[in-house]
Amino acid sequence: MTIRRVGGKLGSLVLTLVLASALVFFSRFLVPGDPVNFLLRGRKPSPEAKAAVVEQFGLDLPPWEQYFRWIGGMFHGDFGRSLQFRDAVTTVIGDRLPVTAGLVIMSAVIIVVVGVIAGTIAALYRGRFADRAILTVLTAFGAIPPFVGSIVLIAVFAVQLRWFPAFGSGDGFLDTIYHLTLPSIAMAIAFMVLIGKVTRMSMVEQLSREHVHVATSRGLGRLTVIRRHVFRNALGPIFTVGGMLIAGLLVATSIVESAFGIAGVGSLLVQSVNRLDFPVVQAIVLLVVTSFVVTNAIVDLLEPIIDPRAAAGEAGR
Amino acid sequence: MTLLEISGLTLDLPGGERLLHGIDLSVNEGETVALVGESGSGKSLTAQSILGLLPARSVVTGTVLVDGHNVPTMSSKELLGLRRSTAAMVFQDPRAGINPMRTIGDHLTEALRLGEGWSAGRARERAIEMLAAVQMPRPEEHLRQYPHELSGGMLQRVMIAGALVGSPRLLVCDEPTTALDVTTQAQILQVLIEQRQARSMGMLFITHDLNLAASLCERVYVMRDGRVEEEGSARQIFRHPATAYTRRLVAATPTIEITGDEPRASTELVRQPVLQVRDLAKTYPGRGRESVRALANVTLEIAAGEALGIVGESGSGKSTLARMIVGLELPDFGKVIIDDQERHGRPRRRADRLDRARKVQMVFQDPYLSLDPRMTAGEAVEDALRLHHPELRRPDICSRALTLLDNVGLASTQAEALPRTLSGGQRQRVAIARALAIEPSLLVMDEATSALDVSVQAQVLEVISEIRRERGLTLLFISHDLAVVRTVCERSVVMREGEVVESATTADLLTNPQHEYTRLLIDSVPRAAAIA
Amino acid sequence: MSRPTPTLAIKVLRSSRRRRVNASWMISIIVLAAITLAAIFAPLVAPYDPDHIDFTAIYANPGWAHWLGADALGRDTLSRMIYGARTALLAPLVVVIASTFLGVVLGLVAGWRGGWLDAVIGRLLDVLLAFPALLIAIMAVALFGKGLVAPVIAMSIAYAPFVARLTRSLVASERARPYVAAYRVQGFAGGWIALRRVLPNVAPTVGAQSTLNFGYVLAELAGLSFLGLGVQAPTADWGAMINESQAGIVGGYFLPAIIPAVAVVIVVVAVNVIGEEVSDRIGGGTPT
Repeated sequence: MTIRRVGGKLGSLVLTLVLASALVFFSRFLVPGDPVNFLLRGRKPSPEAKAAVVEQFGLDLPPWEQYFRWIGGMFHGDFGRSLQFRDAVTTVIGDRLPVTAGLVIMSAVIIVVVGVIAGTIAALYRGRFADRAILTVLTAFGAIPPFVGSIVLIAVFAVQLRWFPAFGSGDGFLDTIYHLTLPSIAMAIAFMVLIGKVTRMSMVEQLSREHVHVATSRGLGRLTVIRRHVFRNALGPIFTVGGMLIAGLLVATSIVESAFGIAGVGSLLVQSVNRLDFPVVQAIVLLVVTSFVVTNAIVDLLEPIIDPRAAAGEAGR
Repeated sequence: MTLLEISGLTLDLPGGERLLHGIDLSVNEGETVALVGESGSGKSLTAQSILGLLPARSVVTGTVLVDGHNVPTMSSKELLGLRRSTAAMVFQDPRAGINPMRTIGDHLTEALRLGEGWSAGRARERAIEMLAAVQMPRPEEHLRQYPHELSGGMLQRVMIAGALVGSPRLLVCDEPTTALDVTTQAQILQVLIEQRQARSMGMLFITHDLNLAASLCERVYVMRDGRVEEEGSARQIFRHPATAYTRRLVAATPTIEITGDEPRASTELVRQPVLQVRDLAKTYPGRGRESVRALANVTLEIAAGEALGIVGESGSGKSTLARMIVGLELPDFGKVIIDDQERHGRPRRRADRLDRARKVQMVFQDPYLSLDPRMTAGEAVEDALRLHHPELRRPDICSRALTLLDNVGLASTQAEALPRTLSGGQRQRVAIARALAIEPSLLVMDEATSALDVSVQAQVLEVISEIRRERGLTLLFISHDLAVVRTVCERSVVMREGEVVESATTADLLTNPQHEYTRLLIDSVPRAAAIA
Repeated sequence: MSRPTPTLAIKVLRSSRRRRVNASWMISIIVLAAITLAAIFAPLVAPYDPDHIDFTAIYANPGWAHWLGADALGRDTLSRMIYGARTALLAPLVVVIASTFLGVVLGLVAGWRGGWLDAVIGRLLDVLLAFPALLIAIMAVALFGKGLVAPVIAMSIAYAPFVARLTRSLVASERARPYVAAYRVQGFAGGWIALRRVLPNVAPTVGAQSTLNFGYVLAELAGLSFLGLGVQAPTADWGAMINESQAGIVGGYFLPAIIPAVAVVIVVVAVNVIGEEVSDRIGGGTPT
């Protein structure tokens, strides 16, 4: 049963990835005109350079073969060559990946810690002042997009108060964390509301369940009931929404890294669009999509650990 | 020895609404007392007050003495002690009442381990002992199982075992068998009776079923609108109800005793069959598990003007049969013939659809979901009229709709009402009017009164019998409740696991059952008369 | 199986269904109406030409001449805000209308028909949901060049799956209800039931989701312009204004960047307040 389930999920994961990568790859064919001219937009290519691009992308091959070459290359870690850096896309992205990963992880930690705590408090004090205050603040934060958060944080904490740097990603572990503090907060602000509200909603729903009432009727203390019967049961939706956030966070790095002048994958994406470096854009888009799909597949596979009914194939929450 | 003594209990919600108006009630040691009432009577709130489980911030006056200690004034620590070792409660729906994400063993031992500080091994032994006491077949194995692996009846045993682990002296049962089939109910009641005797507990049994209360309990309290309406021995309540409400309640409660007021099969020799069902079969393919046989070779017939009852427990296939007869599902094999016309597949053309609709209409079980939430009662009926009588003009349609609603006992002012402002009984009347608007040859009612309170059910059944008298309606009446079928149907069939096990006139079926399953079904129905 | 459904997020965002003080809803309507009117009648309302460069007013502080001050080129911030509201509001409106239409069609077909069609549409939505809206918009710019047209089309496609998922799940749950079975038994055609009875029942919830989407789309399109990929300078647009004025922040000139940023936040809050209130009022009796 479980093996079948895992197999099914993996099959579905692969299918989604194949379709998504096809979408990323064939999007180029939406652009009318000669693909060589599209790829070399904004440059004055010599005939040799043109020939090199045709050779490199296999432009003289039928579309499906081009796709399989591209996919096949990726399995060997070859994402093609960057037009702006005259270097392998893998190297270009690889250099910038650690700082972006750090940014996303720091931001995710802030979101989950603040969101879960705030949501839990709100659920336990539902309808009271604490609940209303938390909801109002979270909702207001939810309306602050990362670019607004970035410039406000820069203006206040970097320029006015001079507590944090406004630029760059620092050297060494602690310095990097110091440099990434404001950017990760800027990203986290808008997303806290989702985790906060899903925690609250899920906890409130579980609190009203009859089994909680039964547990109380059996002489268990309130904290024990909340820990064993409310929080544990409420985890499922929190994980699901958490998995969904990954996509938003990965894209938000493009804005936050640009605002804080961090040389990460997000700012590389923007830079590559600006410099018409399509191979890099394609690779980053695929990277984001893959991270999202894989994260959610993991969340999905972990579900039976939280909810034994999922293992038995009974959909029901 | 008085174990529970409630006096002058009132309860107000934070908003100021008063839900209980001075309840007086007592339970002695070793005594079984029933608390009977319809929905909204306050019986569950009264039960919850005994364990101090009232809604947050509600205001309570009066006293609830359990073993001499007043519950409303207890500290939270004293409350925990009360719930752990003095009083325990069994709830209605075991599926909702046991945490689906934890094992049965966890459920049974957590109060002992975390509350009383027992070691895991000792708590486990106690859990096994209790599971054996409630007659679970494999106690050790069940400890590792999750709730979704057990049936409803088994889970209710687990719930009872869980209530008993702390050796309570008072057991409060809040409708513990309402969610269960009648044969399962009989088994659970047996377990409860045994345990009460073995432990000489006091038991307060809350139920909406007067027959059940009378068959189980020495004394009965009848509640209504947050007040105790009447109190007395079961015999007294049934034979000589003192108040008008109790009299109405007793009269409205159907029984399976033959009283002579049931509809008689017609004496006409040959009548035209309206519905013929021949060898109907349906199997649902199981996804990754065994496939489910919903119907196997079901054959039955209803003559014009007749009412046929179909009785069965959950999983008997009675609802599948109903959905097939009205065409919501297609059979794998077999024929459905209505008015001598066989049905093939799904309707393709408009005329085909309308023709089928005029042959058979249906009233569904859940009155809360069977009406379109956006359509008023009047619009619901008008919709049907307009579809089937495109020649009628708007004022004619309106007046016809009002007449139909009037026929089922709804005032013209209620035609404007949206379903959410109507009561369950009123909604079911709208559903009946909507079905009658099409003037079908056959009306199928699938558990149409099961969700209603007994007094409301009696009114709806009255509407049905009136309509049958006036229009000679042919009826297929599906129910789990033999007593209701007795009052409605001349003939009945009993179904089990997709098969018809017995078919006879209702009176014969009840007095002289041939099949052992029919006998089991009849024996499982609680009877007031047995005691009275 | 619980896949990462957008429905959940919507439920989450709508979970705080308490009676709001009506003041916040009135204020939200007034603010949005004022901004909309100002945008429509921009030439009449704006005190200056938004592109008029005045070197005597560089980084002018707010005052009688320039109510909200002026930017690095001495352009009047208020006038640029008023003209900028046009793209800021119109583009998300187009996205919301297009994505709602697309999503409702897909969701209704999938939820009502079920079976293989549902499976195919479901898979398509799964794939599209793996592409965050801003990413699709950035990719559209990479393919078709800078400006707002390609991102608006891309975002319409990117937001359609959220609407479609919600519509699908609502329609599927309505379809399973006995009232729909009752319509069938009465002889109504499937298409009639779906379009005339089920769709109106799910519309309030879908509408509320679309309204909330407006805020997100606005913020994301502004973000795109902030990155320099959307509306191009010197055209007045809130996102582009922040982009242009970002350099001034380090020099201590906050206002030209902060004002459009605050405007984005205000509009998003106002739209969310209205969306929740409307769904509360219309959707009060909707079974979900």
